[in-house]
Amino acid sequence: MHKKIISILTVTALLFGATVMAHTIAKKGMRADLVLMPKFLGILVFDQANNGAQEAHKELGNPGKLEFLGPTPENSVAGQIEILTTATTQGQDGIMISNNAGDQIAPAAKAARAKGMTVVTWDSPIPSADGEQLFIAQVDFNETGMVMADMALNIIGPGGGEFAVLSATPDAANQNAWNASMKEHLKDPKYSKIKLVDLVYGDDQSEKSYNQALALVDKYPNLKLIMAPTTVGIAAAAKAMQDEGLCDQVKVSGLGLPAEMVSYTLNGCAPEFALWSFVDLGYLSYYATYMMATGQIEGVAGETFKAGRMGYYTIEKDPTRDKGLRVKMGPFSVYNKDNVEAASK
Amino acid sequence: MVKYLSQVRPEKQRELVLLLLILLVVIFFAMMIPNYLNARLFNRVSTSVAIMAVLAIGQTLVVLTRNIDLSVGSIVGFTAYFVGQQLSHNNEIEPMVAVLMAIGVGALMGGFNGILVAYCRVPAIIVTLGTMALFRTLLVEYSDAQTVLTVNLPQWLLDFPRLNVLSHGRLHLRFVVVIMLAVVVLFQLFLRFSSFGRKLYAIGSNPEAANNAGFPTQRIVLISFLLCGALAGLTGFLFLARFGNITVVAGIGFELKSVAAVVVGGVNIFGGSGSILGATLGAILIDLLENSLIRWLQISEFWRDALLGLLILTSVATDSIFMKRIRLYWAKRHAASTS
Repeated sequence: MHKKIISILTVTALLFGATVMAHTIAKKGMRADLVLMPKFLGILVFDQANNGAQEAHKELGNPGKLEFLGPTPENSVAGQIEILTTATTQGQDGIMISNNAGDQIAPAAKAARAKGMTVVTWDSPIPSADGEQLFIAQVDFNETGMVMADMALNIIGPGGGEFAVLSATPDAANQNAWNASMKEHLKDPKYSKIKLVDLVYGDDQSEKSYNQALALVDKYPNLKLIMAPTTVGIAAAAKAMQDEGLCDQVKVSGLGLPAEMVSYTLNGCAPEFALWSFVDLGYLSYYATYMMATGQIEGVAGETFKAGRMGYYTIEKDPTRDKGLRVKMGPFSVYNKDNVEAASK
Repeated sequence: MVKYLSQVRPEKQRELVLLLLILLVVIFFAMMIPNYLNARLFNRVSTSVAIMAVLAIGQTLVVLTRNIDLSVGSIVGFTAYFVGQQLSHNNEIEPMVAVLMAIGVGALMGGFNGILVAYCRVPAIIVTLGTMALFRTLLVEYSDAQTVLTVNLPQWLLDFPRLNVLSHGRLHLRFVVVIMLAVVVLFQLFLRFSSFGRKLYAIGSNPEAANNAGFPTQRIVLISFLLCGALAGLTGFLFLARFGNITVVAGIGFELKSVAAVVVGGVNIFGGSGSILGATLGAILIDLLENSLIRWLQISEFWRDALLGLLILTSVATDSIFMKRIRLYWAKRHAASTS
């Protein structure tokens, strides 16, 4: 009896100790030179992520530098690899990557790791997880698929109908994961009446997305909805439907910025769409990378750390990638005519 | 028929062949795609050609002088963004002022290319490859990662792409298409009848001879780049009106498309021959193919770009193999009949 109590006490103590140890709170003022790399420069959401990272940088009093470096748009894949390689040669302490280069960036990431650099991805991971220590996921990728499927069902209605996906680039790991997960969810009998008829790419270019949206309408006369899980694609598709006077027939939904979408939501072209905060995503990515680069956390599954104003996060296995680790941010905000105006300010 | 054809200048033959090709493409897709031939097809292709044709006309002016402008895509992107930004900050700017602003900024950029090519003697392909990256980076820096949003643009600009000049049932002749037609007619006449236009051809056919004949070669090359930039600026304005949301990727790939339209339209890439009408037909053919292939199930996303490349190669090859012979034959016949 006595022994039992002792062993229970020991176990409790161990557990307690373990939890206390793993709840790391960031030590301020340690030095780490860090780089934040977007898919490419000139997209509003990446700039917002940079604002979040800068906020965390100041808050933590890091005497090192935080640089926002990205490739030009037409050179995204090669440019990302180049910036990563340069950062490694310069001896930066850590980099945060929104990967647009698929697995092609993995060798450069491995080389950076070999030099002792911290490699964290955010927004879009390295699909194979090679060379990447941790991925800061904006939301659960399976959840994205479900939110997309739900919005589609909600807009098309119980009567059912056809819809198509307008994605960004074929190399964007996040887009591909969301689309795959949406297709999985669509197998549920709940969605049996809505039918996915096509998936096209607009390459995150307004004109290409605009033309692709119009082509979808021509190709599928019964199309009820275009689902664009990209902020560029959704705005272009909504403008295309409005210009051609098709908003009554074909609705637009997906992932969009309230400021870009407000007019289309109010006039009914895009009745409902979703997104998360990119400012928070940059902020959280910075905290995790700073703590890893300064050795305060190791970046292994089960570790919990405090990311300033956002609270506690735990590193876990990434359910959508076999070898990857992730931190999940969440949650989604769904916007419609009731809340879009307030959010666009 | 052959006798009749041999009376027609080789360049005109080329234009007739293009017209025939466009017709064949329409017939082919009408058989392959149900419900293809309708008013919407015309509206769609005409408005989308309007943007590319204006750019292709600018490119033609440069290619005629045995040069090339690869920076037009970046000029389109920059002017679209710049004018969009100005209009967002100040909704009161008059439409005409906005258009002139776009043309002016474009002309400035084109002029920069022209000075480097004409007076610093740097090959056009190098200069414009450099400025393609330079102007794009200028845009990235200037934009400060912001996007031009439709919400902030004045109402007249948002209504602009929907403005019809003529409507017949569901068939619309949009105002942008009329602008394009005006540019086509203006430059076709200009090249045909003005002395500047004829000098462009002369320089392209034989730059040294033109120089020896006392033509102000450098100034003419400069002006051709300037005009090309101005037309790219106008394209930037049309682009802004059509797409509304402008990010830094605006206009990427337009340089390739404009060169394709020009080459497919029978403008000799080595300068000296070709017409505005031809380049316009080239733009129409390419746009029609693109618009139709997107709708044709059997062709995948990635094959369409390959097809565009194939089209450029074929037209350059036919040009150097067939057109040269036809031109020689034509020249001989005329020499024989006049002597």
